[in-house]
Amino acid sequence: MNTLGFFIDATAGGQVQQIAKTFGVDWPHLLAQVISFSIVCFLLHRYAYKPVLAILDQRRRQIAQGIADSEKIKAELVKTEAERHVILMEAGTEANKIIEEAHAAAAQVRKNETQKALTAAEQIIVQAQEAAAQEHTRMLGKLKSELGLLVVRATAQVTGKVLTPDDQQRMAEETIQQLAKAA
Amino acid sequence: MIRTTAQAKRKARQLYRCCLVNGRLNPSRAQHAASIVLELKRRGYMRLLKEFQRLVRLEIAAYTAMVESATPLPRHLENRVRERVQNTYGAGTTTLFKRNPELIGGMRIRIGSDVYDGTVEAKLVALQRNFGGSGGYRQNP
Repeated sequence: MNTLGFFIDATAGGQVQQIAKTFGVDWPHLLAQVISFSIVCFLLHRYAYKPVLAILDQRRRQIAQGIADSEKIKAELVKTEAERHVILMEAGTEANKIIEEAHAAAAQVRKNETQKALTAAEQIIVQAQEAAAQEHTRMLGKLKSELGLLVVRATAQVTGKVLTPDDQQRMAEETIQQLAKAA
Repeated sequence: MIRTTAQAKRKARQLYRCCLVNGRLNPSRAQHAASIVLELKRRGYMRLLKEFQRLVRLEIAAYTAMVESATPLPRHLENRVRERVQNTYGAGTTTLFKRNPELIGGMRIRIGSDVYDGTVEAKLVALQRNFGGSGGYRQNP
Protein backbone atom coordinates (compact mmCIF):
# COMPACT_ATOMS: atom_id res chain seq x y z
CA MET A 1 0.00 0.00 0.00
CA ASN A 2 2.85 2.28 0.72
CA THR A 3 4.65 1.42 -2.44
CA LEU A 4 1.53 2.29 -4.45
CA GLY A 5 1.18 5.53 -2.57
CA PHE A 6 4.74 6.43 -3.32
CA PHE A 7 4.29 5.65 -6.94
CA ILE A 8 1.24 7.79 -7.10
CA ASP A 9 3.06 10.48 -5.37
CA ALA A 10 5.86 10.30 -7.80
CA THR A 11 3.72 10.31 -11.00
CA ALA A 12 0.46 12.07 -10.40
CA GLY A 13 0.83 13.60 -7.16
CA GLY A 14 -1.15 13.33 -4.11
CA GLN A 15 -4.49 13.63 -5.66
CA VAL A 16 -4.21 10.26 -7.40
CA GLN A 17 -2.99 8.71 -4.22
CA GLN A 18 -5.95 10.20 -2.46
CA ILE A 19 -8.38 8.74 -4.95
CA ALA A 20 -6.73 5.30 -4.82
CA LYS A 21 -6.92 5.41 -1.05
CA THR A 22 -10.58 6.40 -1.22
CA PHE A 23 -11.42 3.46 -3.50
CA GLY A 24 -9.28 1.06 -1.48
CA VAL A 25 -6.69 0.32 -4.19
CA ASP A 26 -3.87 -1.89 -3.03
CA TRP A 27 -1.12 -1.62 -5.60
CA PRO A 28 0.66 -4.93 -5.00
CA HIS A 29 -2.62 -6.76 -5.11
CA LEU A 30 -3.59 -4.83 -8.18
CA LEU A 31 -0.32 -5.64 -9.81
CA ALA A 32 -0.65 -9.27 -8.90
CA GLN A 33 -4.16 -9.31 -10.21
CA VAL A 34 -3.02 -7.58 -13.38
CA ILE A 35 -0.33 -10.18 -13.84
CA SER A 36 -2.63 -13.03 -13.02
CA PHE A 37 -5.29 -11.51 -15.24
CA SER A 38 -2.72 -11.18 -18.01
CA ILE A 39 -1.73 -14.77 -17.54
CA VAL A 40 -5.36 -15.78 -17.56
CA CYS A 41 -5.91 -13.64 -20.60
CA PHE A 42 -2.90 -15.19 -22.27
CA LEU A 43 -4.01 -18.70 -21.40
CA LEU A 44 -7.54 -18.00 -22.43
CA HIS A 45 -6.33 -16.42 -25.61
CA ARG A 46 -3.91 -19.23 -26.18
CA TYR A 47 -6.07 -22.24 -25.36
CA ALA A 48 -9.62 -21.05 -25.40
CA TYR A 49 -10.24 -18.01 -27.52
CA LYS A 50 -7.87 -18.93 -30.32
CA PRO A 51 -9.36 -22.41 -30.94
CA VAL A 52 -12.82 -21.00 -30.49
CA LEU A 53 -12.02 -18.21 -32.90
CA ALA A 54 -10.48 -20.68 -35.28
CA ILE A 55 -13.58 -22.80 -35.00
CA LEU A 56 -15.71 -19.72 -35.48
CA ASP A 57 -13.61 -18.67 -38.42
CA GLN A 58 -13.90 -22.12 -39.85
CA ARG A 59 -17.62 -22.10 -39.26
CA ARG A 60 -17.85 -18.70 -40.87
CA ARG A 61 -15.91 -19.93 -43.84
CA GLN A 62 -18.08 -22.99 -44.00
CA ILE A 63 -21.15 -20.83 -43.78
CA ALA A 64 -19.74 -18.55 -46.46
CA GLN A 65 -18.88 -21.59 -48.50
CA GLY A 66 -22.35 -22.91 -47.87
CA ILE A 67 -23.87 -19.63 -48.87
CA ALA A 68 -21.66 -19.53 -51.94
CA ASP A 69 -22.56 -23.11 -52.70
CA SER A 70 -26.18 -22.28 -52.16
CA GLU A 71 -25.88 -19.36 -54.53
CA LYS A 72 -24.09 -21.57 -56.97
CA ILE A 73 -26.74 -24.21 -56.54
CA LYS A 74 -29.42 -21.61 -57.03
CA ALA A 75 -27.69 -20.44 -60.17
CA GLU A 76 -27.30 -24.01 -61.30
CA LEU A 77 -30.90 -24.62 -60.43
CA VAL A 78 -31.98 -21.61 -62.45
CA LYS A 79 -29.77 -22.73 -65.27
CA THR A 80 -31.06 -26.26 -64.99
CA GLU A 81 -34.59 -24.98 -64.87
CA ALA A 82 -33.95 -22.96 -67.98
CA GLU A 83 -32.36 -25.94 -69.67
CA ARG A 84 -35.24 -28.12 -68.52
CA HIS A 85 -37.63 -25.58 -69.91
CA VAL A 86 -35.75 -25.52 -73.18
CA ILE A 87 -35.59 -29.31 -73.25
CA LEU A 88 -39.28 -29.51 -72.47
CA MET A 89 -40.00 -27.03 -75.21
CA GLU A 90 -37.84 -28.96 -77.63
CA ALA A 91 -39.42 -32.22 -76.47
CA GLY A 92 -42.84 -30.72 -76.93
CA THR A 93 -41.92 -29.49 -80.37
CA GLU A 94 -40.40 -32.85 -81.22
CA ALA A 95 -43.44 -34.64 -79.83
CA ASN A 96 -45.73 -32.42 -81.86
CA LYS A 97 -43.63 -33.08 -84.92
CA ILE A 98 -43.71 -36.84 -84.27
CA ILE A 99 -47.46 -36.70 -83.72
CA GLU A 100 -47.92 -34.76 -86.94
CA GLU A 101 -45.73 -37.25 -88.77
CA ALA A 102 -47.67 -40.10 -87.21
CA HIS A 103 -50.91 -38.44 -88.27
CA ALA A 104 -49.55 -37.96 -91.77
CA ALA A 105 -48.30 -41.56 -91.90
CA ALA A 106 -51.61 -42.83 -90.57
CA ALA A 107 -53.47 -40.76 -93.14
CA GLN A 108 -51.21 -42.11 -95.87
CA VAL A 109 -51.66 -45.68 -94.65
CA ARG A 110 -55.42 -45.15 -94.44
CA LYS A 111 -55.40 -43.71 -97.94
CA ASN A 112 -53.33 -46.61 -99.26
CA GLU A 113 -55.49 -49.18 -97.51
CA THR A 114 -58.62 -47.49 -98.78
CA GLN A 115 -57.18 -47.51 -102.28
CA LYS A 116 -56.27 -51.18 -101.94
CA ALA A 117 -59.72 -52.00 -100.65
CA LEU A 118 -61.30 -50.07 -103.51
CA THR A 119 -59.08 -51.85 -106.01
CA ALA A 120 -59.87 -55.22 -104.48
CA ALA A 121 -63.56 -54.40 -104.47
CA GLU A 122 -63.38 -53.35 -108.11
CA GLN A 123 -61.55 -56.55 -108.98
CA ILE A 124 -64.14 -58.58 -107.12
CA ILE A 125 -66.90 -56.75 -108.94
CA VAL A 126 -65.19 -57.28 -112.30
CA GLN A 127 -64.62 -60.95 -111.53
CA ALA A 128 -68.20 -61.31 -110.40
CA GLN A 129 -69.41 -59.61 -113.57
CA GLU A 130 -67.18 -61.85 -115.68
CA ALA A 131 -68.38 -64.91 -113.80
CA ALA A 132 -71.97 -63.78 -114.21
CA ALA A 133 -71.39 -63.15 -117.91
CA GLN A 134 -69.77 -66.55 -118.32
CA GLU A 135 -72.56 -68.19 -116.40
CA HIS A 136 -75.08 -66.30 -118.52
CA THR A 137 -73.33 -67.43 -121.70
CA ARG A 138 -73.12 -70.98 -120.41
CA MET A 139 -76.77 -70.98 -119.47
CA LEU A 140 -77.71 -69.54 -122.85
CA GLY A 141 -75.63 -72.21 -124.57
CA LYS A 142 -77.18 -74.91 -122.45
CA LEU A 143 -80.64 -73.53 -123.10
CA LYS A 144 -79.91 -73.37 -126.80
CA SER A 145 -78.60 -76.92 -126.75
CA GLU A 146 -81.63 -78.17 -124.81
CA LEU A 147 -83.96 -76.28 -127.10
CA GLY A 148 -82.15 -77.67 -130.13
CA LEU A 149 -82.41 -81.17 -128.70
CA LEU A 150 -86.13 -80.75 -128.19
CA VAL A 151 -86.57 -79.35 -131.67
CA VAL A 152 -84.53 -82.14 -133.23
CA ARG A 153 -86.38 -84.83 -131.28
CA ALA A 154 -89.72 -83.36 -132.20
CA THR A 155 -88.63 -83.08 -135.82
CA ALA A 156 -87.33 -86.66 -135.79
CA GLN A 157 -90.63 -87.95 -134.45
CA VAL A 158 -92.72 -85.94 -136.86
CA THR A 159 -90.56 -86.30 -139.96
CA GLY A 160 -90.67 -90.10 -140.05
CA LYS A 161 -94.43 -89.98 -140.12
CA VAL A 162 -94.86 -87.30 -142.78
CA LEU A 163 -92.27 -88.55 -145.29
CA THR A 164 -93.95 -90.16 -148.29
CA PRO A 165 -92.33 -92.78 -150.58
CA ASP A 166 -91.83 -90.01 -153.10
CA ASP A 167 -89.94 -87.99 -150.51
CA GLN A 168 -87.78 -91.01 -149.69
CA GLN A 169 -87.04 -91.52 -153.37
CA ARG A 170 -86.23 -87.86 -153.88
CA MET A 171 -83.80 -87.89 -150.97
CA ALA A 172 -82.13 -91.03 -152.30
CA GLU A 173 -81.78 -89.31 -155.66
CA GLU A 174 -80.03 -86.42 -153.91
CA THR A 175 -77.48 -88.84 -152.39
CA ILE A 176 -76.90 -90.38 -155.79
CA GLN A 177 -76.28 -86.87 -157.11
CA GLN A 178 -73.67 -86.38 -154.38
CA LEU A 179 -71.98 -89.60 -155.50
CA ALA A 180 -72.10 -88.44 -159.11
CA LYS A 181 -70.47 -85.13 -158.21
CA ALA A 182 -67.66 -86.98 -156.46
CA ALA A 183 -66.87 -89.00 -159.57
CA MET B 1 -40.17 -116.90 -136.87
CA ILE B 2 -42.24 -113.94 -135.79
CA ARG B 3 -41.37 -112.51 -132.42
CA THR B 4 -42.77 -109.00 -132.44
CA THR B 5 -45.89 -107.25 -133.68
CA ALA B 6 -43.81 -105.18 -136.09
CA GLN B 7 -42.47 -108.36 -137.65
CA ALA B 8 -46.02 -109.73 -137.88
CA LYS B 9 -47.19 -106.56 -139.65
CA ARG B 10 -44.29 -106.65 -142.06
CA LYS B 11 -44.86 -110.32 -142.90
CA ALA B 12 -48.62 -109.76 -143.23
CA ARG B 13 -48.02 -106.96 -145.74
CA GLN B 14 -45.70 -109.24 -147.72
CA LEU B 15 -48.32 -111.98 -147.69
CA TYR B 16 -51.01 -109.49 -148.69
CA ARG B 17 -48.94 -108.23 -151.64
CA CYS B 18 -48.55 -111.83 -152.77
CA CYS B 19 -52.33 -112.13 -152.91
CA LEU B 20 -52.80 -109.14 -155.22
CA VAL B 21 -53.71 -109.67 -158.85
CA ASN B 22 -53.80 -106.55 -161.03
CA GLY B 23 -53.75 -104.43 -157.93
CA ARG B 24 -56.81 -106.16 -156.42
CA LEU B 25 -56.98 -108.82 -153.79
CA ASN B 26 -57.58 -112.26 -155.17
CA PRO B 27 -59.89 -114.12 -152.79
CA SER B 28 -58.69 -117.57 -153.68
CA ARG B 29 -55.06 -116.56 -153.20
CA ALA B 30 -55.86 -115.01 -149.88
CA GLN B 31 -57.69 -118.12 -148.76
CA HIS B 32 -54.85 -120.31 -149.93
CA ALA B 33 -52.25 -118.19 -148.15
CA ALA B 34 -54.22 -118.27 -144.92
CA SER B 35 -54.57 -122.05 -145.11
CA ILE B 36 -50.83 -122.46 -145.64
CA VAL B 37 -50.08 -120.32 -142.61
CA LEU B 38 -52.51 -122.36 -140.57
CA GLU B 39 -50.96 -125.61 -141.69
CA LEU B 40 -47.40 -124.57 -140.91
CA LYS B 41 -48.32 -123.04 -137.53
CA ARG B 42 -44.99 -121.37 -137.11
CA ARG B 43 -44.25 -119.26 -134.13
CA GLY B 44 -46.34 -116.06 -134.15
CA TYR B 45 -48.69 -117.29 -136.88
CA MET B 46 -51.76 -115.96 -135.04
CA ARG B 47 -50.36 -112.44 -135.03
CA LEU B 48 -49.61 -112.79 -138.69
CA LEU B 49 -53.13 -113.99 -139.47
CA LYS B 50 -54.75 -111.22 -137.45
CA GLU B 51 -52.79 -108.58 -139.29
CA PHE B 52 -53.50 -110.27 -142.62
CA GLN B 53 -57.20 -110.36 -141.73
CA ARG B 54 -57.11 -106.65 -140.94
CA LEU B 55 -55.57 -105.87 -144.32
CA VAL B 56 -58.11 -108.06 -146.11
CA ARG B 57 -60.94 -106.36 -144.22
CA LEU B 58 -59.65 -102.95 -145.26
CA GLU B 59 -59.44 -104.12 -148.86
CA ILE B 60 -62.99 -105.45 -148.72
CA ALA B 61 -64.23 -102.22 -147.13
CA ALA B 62 -62.44 -100.17 -149.76
CA TYR B 63 -64.28 -102.02 -152.51
CA THR B 64 -67.60 -102.52 -150.82
CA ALA B 65 -70.31 -99.89 -150.90
CA MET B 66 -72.65 -100.10 -147.91
CA VAL B 67 -75.92 -98.40 -148.82
CA GLU B 68 -78.25 -97.71 -145.91
CA SER B 69 -81.76 -96.34 -146.35
CA ALA B 70 -84.70 -95.71 -144.06
CA THR B 71 -87.08 -97.58 -146.32
CA PRO B 72 -86.35 -100.34 -148.84
CA LEU B 73 -85.20 -98.86 -152.13
CA PRO B 74 -87.09 -99.65 -155.34
CA ARG B 75 -85.31 -102.02 -157.66
CA HIS B 76 -84.58 -99.42 -160.29
CA LEU B 77 -83.06 -97.12 -157.68
CA GLU B 78 -80.85 -99.92 -156.37
CA ASN B 79 -79.62 -100.54 -159.91
CA ARG B 80 -78.86 -96.87 -160.36
CA VAL B 81 -76.90 -96.77 -157.11
CA ARG B 82 -74.96 -99.90 -158.03
CA GLU B 83 -74.19 -98.49 -161.47
CA ARG B 84 -73.09 -95.13 -160.08
CA VAL B 85 -70.85 -96.78 -157.47
CA GLN B 86 -69.16 -98.93 -160.08
CA ASN B 87 -68.67 -95.95 -162.34
CA THR B 88 -67.03 -94.04 -159.54
CA TYR B 89 -65.03 -96.72 -157.67
CA GLY B 90 -64.49 -99.37 -160.30
CA ALA B 91 -66.30 -102.36 -161.70
CA GLY B 92 -65.16 -104.69 -158.94
CA THR B 93 -66.87 -102.75 -156.23
CA THR B 94 -69.52 -104.69 -154.37
CA THR B 95 -72.69 -102.91 -153.33
CA LEU B 96 -74.65 -104.02 -150.28
CA PHE B 97 -78.05 -102.63 -149.31
CA LYS B 98 -79.29 -102.38 -145.77
CA ARG B 99 -82.47 -100.96 -144.22
CA ASN B 100 -81.97 -98.71 -141.21
CA PRO B 101 -85.16 -97.04 -139.87
CA GLU B 102 -83.11 -94.81 -137.56
CA LEU B 103 -82.09 -92.80 -140.60
CA ILE B 104 -85.76 -91.59 -140.76
CA GLY B 105 -85.44 -90.72 -144.41
CA GLY B 106 -82.94 -90.62 -147.26
CA MET B 107 -79.92 -92.74 -148.00
CA ARG B 108 -76.31 -93.08 -146.84
CA ILE B 109 -73.54 -94.62 -148.94
CA ARG B 110 -70.26 -95.61 -147.25
CA ILE B 111 -67.33 -96.81 -149.38
CA GLY B 112 -64.09 -97.23 -147.47
CA SER B 113 -63.56 -93.91 -145.76
CA ASP B 114 -65.90 -92.00 -148.13
CA VAL B 115 -69.41 -91.27 -146.90
CA TYR B 116 -72.27 -89.74 -148.90
CA ASP B 117 -74.97 -88.92 -146.41
CA GLY B 118 -78.33 -87.52 -147.48
CA THR B 119 -80.34 -88.88 -144.59
CA VAL B 120 -82.72 -86.94 -142.36
CA GLU B 121 -80.73 -88.20 -139.38
CA ALA B 122 -77.57 -86.52 -140.65
CA LYS B 123 -79.47 -83.28 -141.19
CA LEU B 124 -80.94 -83.47 -137.70
CA VAL B 125 -77.49 -84.12 -136.21
CA ALA B 126 -76.14 -81.09 -138.09
CA LEU B 127 -79.09 -79.04 -136.85
CA GLN B 128 -78.47 -80.12 -133.27
CA ARG B 129 -74.78 -79.23 -133.60
CA ASN B 130 -75.84 -75.78 -134.78
CA PHE B 131 -77.77 -75.48 -131.54
CA GLY B 132 -74.60 -76.33 -129.65
CA GLY B 133 -75.40 -79.95 -128.87
CA SER B 134 -73.18 -82.97 -129.33
CA GLY B 135 -75.33 -84.49 -132.05
CA GLY B 136 -76.56 -87.52 -130.18
CA TYR B 137 -80.20 -86.51 -130.06
CA ARG B 138 -81.36 -90.06 -129.37
CA GLN B 139 -79.48 -90.25 -126.10
CA ASN B 140 -81.37 -89.40 -122.95
CA PRO B 141 -80.15 -86.17 -121.29
